[in-house]
Amino acid sequence: MDEARRWLERIRALPIPPRFRIMNVCGGHERTISMAGLRSLLPAGIELIPGPGCPVCVCPEEDIFQAIRLALDEKVTLVAFGDMLRVPVNGPRSEPRSLEEARAAGADVRPVASPMEAVRIARDTPGRETVFFAAGFETTMAPVAAMLAEGVPENLSILLSGRKTWPAVAMLLADGQKPGQQPGFDALIAPGHVSTIMGPEEWRFVPGQYGLPTAVAGFQNASLLAAIYSALRQAQSGRIFLDNCYANVAHPGGNPQAQALLDQVMTVGDANWRGIGTIAGSGFALQPAYGAQDARRRFPDCSDPQRRRAGEMPPGCACAQVVLGQIYPNQCPLYGRACQPRHPIGPCMVSDEGACRIWWATGVREPVSPESVSSVESP
Amino acid sequence: MHDDRYIQLAHGNGGRRMRELIASLFVRHFGDSLNTQRDAAPLPDISGDLMITTDSFTVNPLEFPGGNIGSLAVHGTLNDLAVAGAEPRYLTVNALIEEGFEIARLDRLIASLGDTAREAGVAIVAGDTKVVARGEGGGLYLVTTGIGTRVPRLNLGLEHIEPGDRLLVSGPIGDHGIAVMLAREQFGLSGSLTSDAACVLPLTRALHALPGLRFMRDPTRGGLATVTHEIREATGYGMSLEESAVPVRAPVKAVCEMLGYDPYYLACEGRVVAVVSEQDAEKALALWRALPQGADAAIIGTIDHKTGPVVLTTSLGGQRVLDELEDDPLPRIC
Repeated sequence: MDEARRWLERIRALPIPPRFRIMNVCGGHERTISMAGLRSLLPAGIELIPGPGCPVCVCPEEDIFQAIRLALDEKVTLVAFGDMLRVPVNGPRSEPRSLEEARAAGADVRPVASPMEAVRIARDTPGRETVFFAAGFETTMAPVAAMLAEGVPENLSILLSGRKTWPAVAMLLADGQKPGQQPGFDALIAPGHVSTIMGPEEWRFVPGQYGLPTAVAGFQNASLLAAIYSALRQAQSGRIFLDNCYANVAHPGGNPQAQALLDQVMTVGDANWRGIGTIAGSGFALQPAYGAQDARRRFPDCSDPQRRRAGEMPPGCACAQVVLGQIYPNQCPLYGRACQPRHPIGPCMVSDEGACRIWWATGVREPVSPESVSSVESP
Repeated sequence: MHDDRYIQLAHGNGGRRMRELIASLFVRHFGDSLNTQRDAAPLPDISGDLMITTDSFTVNPLEFPGGNIGSLAVHGTLNDLAVAGAEPRYLTVNALIEEGFEIARLDRLIASLGDTAREAGVAIVAGDTKVVARGEGGGLYLVTTGIGTRVPRLNLGLEHIEPGDRLLVSGPIGDHGIAVMLAREQFGLSGSLTSDAACVLPLTRALHALPGLRFMRDPTRGGLATVTHEIREATGYGMSLEESAVPVRAPVKAVCEMLGYDPYYLACEGRVVAVVSEQDAEKALALWRALPQGADAAIIGTIDHKTGPVVLTTSLGGQRVLDELEDDPLPRIC
């Protein structure tokens, strides 16, 4: 903790611009920031903006709907990461609207903490189909790829909803260059765990192409504060580069073995992000060689074009804007009112990596009406 | 019975197999206090205010570093009596065993239960066994009920808590939660961390003589944060905790950092949280620290003078609210 304190002192000793907005990509970053109370410790002017790195939050509504229908109609054992179970889809109250409700209605839905558990469950029930609903970023996709490369039981298939993180940030930055627009942040804290797999170099485009100070950080106070310091120093000195404040874990080039497994098992294509739309080159899919394990091929497509608000956010929910860093969680009109952890409306209030959930859990109780404050984008 | 290696439904049918199982396993480990020929047991040598508590145990895995479901079923119930200001005397045990359970394993777990009760000086006076069909149970469930007597002149309760009182914890938090999690091997992590599961009687007895002792509780499921919320709910007062004062072992910190857990919500099975008057807080701390079980005890916070949340001042000097536990803690996937 001394190291974190030292970084904090160094930040406090710097001249601080009147407004300096740093986006942190990961839900893990946001958790650390909120749990350490970093916002209250940093000099006025520094704004920390939660970014798009919450896999549960960006998982398309139609994918969750598909998982629910597979569990209910196809009588499979549906396994998913725990956070995924409570995310609601749009639909009438009379029908199960989350995997948790599907389980209560009799479906066999089980939370898992790792791909190994999905394999174990499939192996323990050889006569029954098990579908692993795998949502996540590169950090989750690498172990899923390893699992498939190693070989899985015949009765296990994957409903893949994997996403790459950098294309979402690239989209934000590209949008910010359109006429009349500006990026909603002045510097970026890039994801440490993703960089551990893919290599920090993936983030070079942010300083290189867009001239924004960038630093890779892990989920510890010291690493995050070092990254904040680096961003401020870069802005101050005008020497903009990709710094690595997680260098003892995220090595140059990342983890070549994990990358080779990802290449072997998965392809990358355009993919939908919940409430945001299609982002080019941001989605993982299974290589044809692993098609036999693809739940989308093994089971019927359960999408229902007649369904109201299929694929959309719930009415009034501003999760998409929160994920894009356009508003703070408590600027959503539903935050703390209709939407709370015990009755979440949007995915950001469900996941422990969702900004709304993190803000609520660490004590932010006051909803801010969108009219009464300036949004993150327009000061 | 001697020929059987696994529990069958017949071990619960009231006939020969059940009789032999009880005699050769339960009675052997529980000792003379258990008289299986009676439908109800008298409780001899007991006087004063009687206190009773009951608890069910469904831990997975059944054996973990530092304990097992047998020892846990004794500690859990005795600890509830101990923190309520009672001296435990008698215990009853119900065992719900799943068909197919290995008898050698059952023997090991029930032996541990018997040994733990003996060490704590309580007698097992009544019990029951049931066998449930394969697939209908988690191997072994235990239910224990404890009977004790209130320590004379000791009157503990949430209603005695006053603003300015101090919160103490008897040792590092979260060891049990993380030890059990590691034992499940869900995350490909392993470690040498041992559960803190233990009888807290030495800790609770140590504070009996302090006039400023208001309230004690053992933080189990839901951890330290949940105890603070029970206090807040009952008293209406907010609370201020100091993160740097709360003892957390390095391996617990490391796993929490890795998986995104918050140690304040992790289960303990051998710790006590005490609320003590400001005057007596240092004395209580010294009494605990003099015990091997309390070597890492600490004063971790203060009861506020007004209503409000449980506020944690982080080791960096920031502040955050320690909210009530909503769902089970989950590992991060990012």
